[in-house]
Amino acid sequence: MRILIAEDDAVSRRILETYLRNWGYEVVTTLDGDEAWRAMSEPNAPNLAILDIMMPGIDGLEICRRLRQLSGAITPYIILLTAKHGASEIVKGIEAGADDYLTKPYDRSELRARVQVGVRIVELQNKLAVRVKELEGALEHVKLLQGILPICSYCKKIRGDQDYWQTVESYVADHSEAEFSHGICPTCYETTVKDQLARFRAFTSQDSESAPIKRRLIET
Amino acid sequence: MSTELVSNDIFLVQALIPTAPTNSANLEAIDWGVLATLEEIREDGEPDLIVELIDLYIGDAPHWIEAIRIAVAGNDAPMLKRAAHSLKGSSGSLGVRQVAETCRMLELNCSDSAGKVEELLQILNREFAAACDALVAERTRRLG
Repeated sequence: MRILIAEDDAVSRRILETYLRNWGYEVVTTLDGDEAWRAMSEPNAPNLAILDIMMPGIDGLEICRRLRQLSGAITPYIILLTAKHGASEIVKGIEAGADDYLTKPYDRSELRARVQVGVRIVELQNKLAVRVKELEGALEHVKLLQGILPICSYCKKIRGDQDYWQTVESYVADHSEAEFSHGICPTCYETTVKDQLARFRAFTSQDSESAPIKRRLIET
Repeated sequence: MSTELVSNDIFLVQALIPTAPTNSANLEAIDWGVLATLEEIREDGEPDLIVELIDLYIGDAPHWIEAIRIAVAGNDAPMLKRAAHSLKGSSGSLGVRQVAETCRMLELNCSDSAGKVEELLQILNREFAAACDALVAERTRRLG
């Protein structure tokens, strides 16, 4: 996981870098707000940023606001790390778009725990983004059947887009990825097919003289 | 929060860092507990992180002190606030607690009368000198 840090104070920056590297993160270091904003605006920007508020160039709050206005699928997780104390300062930071706020001097284990929360959220966001992309890809292959379809009350044909009547199966086949295999349901077999088969058998066996002609007719 | 130490704890810290500076006039300028915490993240075979941090601090802090002096002389409250805030950050990170506290006071009182901020500046100069003595002694000990 790559983490961007923006800190103008050399001592604080070096300590923060060392902590994060020791915990196994790749660190992108920036020395002021302008440099941080440029790095976070790039296409492959880190997904997690730890920003000071008061620093030369764009301040940390303004970077939060700008990042929240970007329309990327994944928005970075932002931790403000600052010497500004007090509830009103924390509210300002969160309202500007920060996800978390930690005041200096900070406890190392608290910072680590908060970074781990950020990493979990970023990983969850990434997983969701992959799933959304997969679903979008799947939707492209699905034709939609929706709206009111005019259907004949007798023959059950459907009036299609070009104002001509189609059988249900040809209409559905044209408007979806579905295909049909034909069969006979038990009800239709009992009410219709069974009787027709019986009559057909009786017809073909009644008259031995005319039977070959009938069979030939049926075959053709 | 890193281990907070009061002056009575200094001998305990000296036990944790056996050869911490013994010049008692300067000992209280530094929160040795902060340095002890930083010592924990030092990696074997890597350069001494605390020496590196002391060098960064001693190289950087005088610029902020000069900025504070100019701001006080010019009655420039925003510049004073900015410079005091920055020096407070680096001082706090390295455990230079008295300088950090005086910077906090300067930041809070940046718009006060010239007499008040000038007095704080004088205190800051004394505390910074004491802190530098302690840090340089610690640096020498570590490199020695």
